[in-house]
Amino acid sequence: MTTTAQLILPKTQVKPFYFNTSAHLLRVTMQKANTLAELLDALRVCPEESIFQHTFRTLQEHHFIREGFSNDFAHWTLAACNEPGLAEQLASVDVREFTSLRGLRERFIQIVHDHLRLNPADGTRLAEETFYFCAADIVVIPTNFVASTMYDFAEGLREVSVHSIHHHFIEARLRLKLMSNDFSQWLHEDVGLTDAARALNQIDIYMSTLEDVRGQIVRIVEKALA
Amino acid sequence: MKLANPHSATDTYASDADSSNRAVSEETLATHIPTHLATQPAPAKPERRATPRTSPRPWETPPAPVPAPHLDDYRTIIGAADLDELRFLARNLKGKSMKMVNSTAVGGGVAEMLNRLVPLLGELEVTTHWEVITGGNDFFEVTKAFHNALHGSEYQLTKSAQEIFLAYNEQNRQRMHFPEDVIVIHDPQPAALVVARNEPARKESHQRWVWRCHIDLSNPNPQVWGLLRPFIEQYDAAIFSSQSFARQLPIPQYLFYPCIDPLSEKNKELDDSFVQKVCDEFGVDRSRPIVTQVSRFDRLKDPVGVVQAFKLARKYVDCQLVLAGGGASDDPEGALVLKEVKEVAGNDPNIIILDLPPWCALEINALQRASTIVVQKSIKEGFGLTVTEALWKGKPTIAGAVGGIPNQIIHKLTGMLVHSVEGCAYQIRFLLTHPEFAAQLGRNGHEHVKENFLMTTNVRRWLLLLRLLLHDRK
Repeated sequence: MTTTAQLILPKTQVKPFYFNTSAHLLRVTMQKANTLAELLDALRVCPEESIFQHTFRTLQEHHFIREGFSNDFAHWTLAACNEPGLAEQLASVDVREFTSLRGLRERFIQIVHDHLRLNPADGTRLAEETFYFCAADIVVIPTNFVASTMYDFAEGLREVSVHSIHHHFIEARLRLKLMSNDFSQWLHEDVGLTDAARALNQIDIYMSTLEDVRGQIVRIVEKALA
Repeated sequence: MKLANPHSATDTYASDADSSNRAVSEETLATHIPTHLATQPAPAKPERRATPRTSPRPWETPPAPVPAPHLDDYRTIIGAADLDELRFLARNLKGKSMKMVNSTAVGGGVAEMLNRLVPLLGELEVTTHWEVITGGNDFFEVTKAFHNALHGSEYQLTKSAQEIFLAYNEQNRQRMHFPEDVIVIHDPQPAALVVARNEPARKESHQRWVWRCHIDLSNPNPQVWGLLRPFIEQYDAAIFSSQSFARQLPIPQYLFYPCIDPLSEKNKELDDSFVQKVCDEFGVDRSRPIVTQVSRFDRLKDPVGVVQAFKLARKYVDCQLVLAGGGASDDPEGALVLKEVKEVAGNDPNIIILDLPPWCALEINALQRASTIVVQKSIKEGFGLTVTEALWKGKPTIAGAVGGIPNQIIHKLTGMLVHSVEGCAYQIRFLLTHPEFAAQLGRNGHEHVKENFLMTTNVRRWLLLLRLLLHDRK
């Protein structure tokens, strides 16, 4: 598809992009698990904020780690239950494939349920440590950065905190209910840089730190303007 | 701020060998001379010894108090964007006020933390008052017993102890005023003050009460918890330092990890020349790998196990061990543990044992920075702020998988968790022979602390809690 990239000058005025960020406060819930069977039970009844905390949020909390940390359920299954096969399955769940926490919860339930159906003895074996279900209470706040030009946009991308990158690039799909992110949406709908929007959406967040992700986004945006 | 009784029953935040303002007598000072200098053969640079000193060594006298940092001083540490986020979070809290109430103004980790937190919140225009309850010796004896009982010790709650607890809380309630928007009560000692919210003048107000519990409530004495629980349930929220400390309560329970101040004497950046000077003073050879544990001489920190692990590891790798801590001079149990450690260490010139006074924060900082590996082989632990300090300094860290340590050390990602002397020895060998992996652990550990365990993260949590209590959650 032809894009309007060549028509967009770095300082051409476009509909502004407001960089926001989200801050999270960790709440301890009533659910906890000492076995895989208890994990399954708790997955079914825990608040959606817990699913968010142990998947989207944990990715943010450990944004500096490249490998081995995709979600808390996988980590606990490996570290405390010594179930590498199940841990691999849980770790392979990609939050970007879900636009609702409900769908994400169902995926985890399905994986644990299927594992326990095939390996019922695993369900009651005591884990080395308890899994405490937490939940994230979120407050969205503005930042100092508003982009009215592509030049401002690139500048904002370089300067905002990684929390802001996470807010727009990873958490956004829960708000948008789309397999996309705020940056791609803006580039596609308001700037007309559809190829760049698509390229952004293909960045592998699981193989990079959030700083690396930021770097890749900036490079794609700069390339689109070159 | 009102100054009051220096009794402290809580010490959850004070990391070992911390810089708290504990009174130390001249007799105590005399016994705080670094043990290795008194008992071990001179390791290096004997000419220093030959020159009589005209002034005390730095660790022999308490330093002058350091002024608290300003918010902007953290800019180079956390970045402008994160600092701006704090200001945005605080923006619609302007004019709101908060009161912190605890049981001690000096000494102990809670006072240390409040000393830094209160001015920073003030800078963000969230007026924060800090008031300390008063009480007689009988009150503090009772609350010390409660503290131990809540940690799981055997205790028989008597009617008299109950009455003393309630009477002093009532006395303080009558003495204090609570006009602020949010009242935060720290720990069990003043927990019953919450009844003040039922006073007629306050009943219809939108005031919020929060209980900040700094102690481990995972296995509390049922009688003491039974006494406290009806009061705790009257709060709007509770805050704990670990998921496992939370209880089944009908109020929201939040998680605030303990934190370190990156600008404190214990954690600030140091010139390498100062680090070298401290190493020279203590006979630490920086040309060889240094394995360090900083902790009180306390069995729960397993210093004997550290010496054993070091000896096992040293069969295969050249290194020296620094055990830096305190508590041996003012605690009979500590003196006994120090004696055991020395016995196990024998005459090994590669083991340097330092019994330092509590104000040696800069020296501890220097020793941590000089270390190749930091060990915290605790058998039982609260949160383990010495681990936080080591991670912040980018040190590959090996620690016991107990208490709050697994919150900080994600095995093989931000450090190494161990469960035995042999495991500790193995990891010392592994990290000393895999420096690139060790360096990556150090980098990850530093980032983990930056994200989760710094004073500025704590400021962010308080601002968020105020927003949630006063605005964002109706």
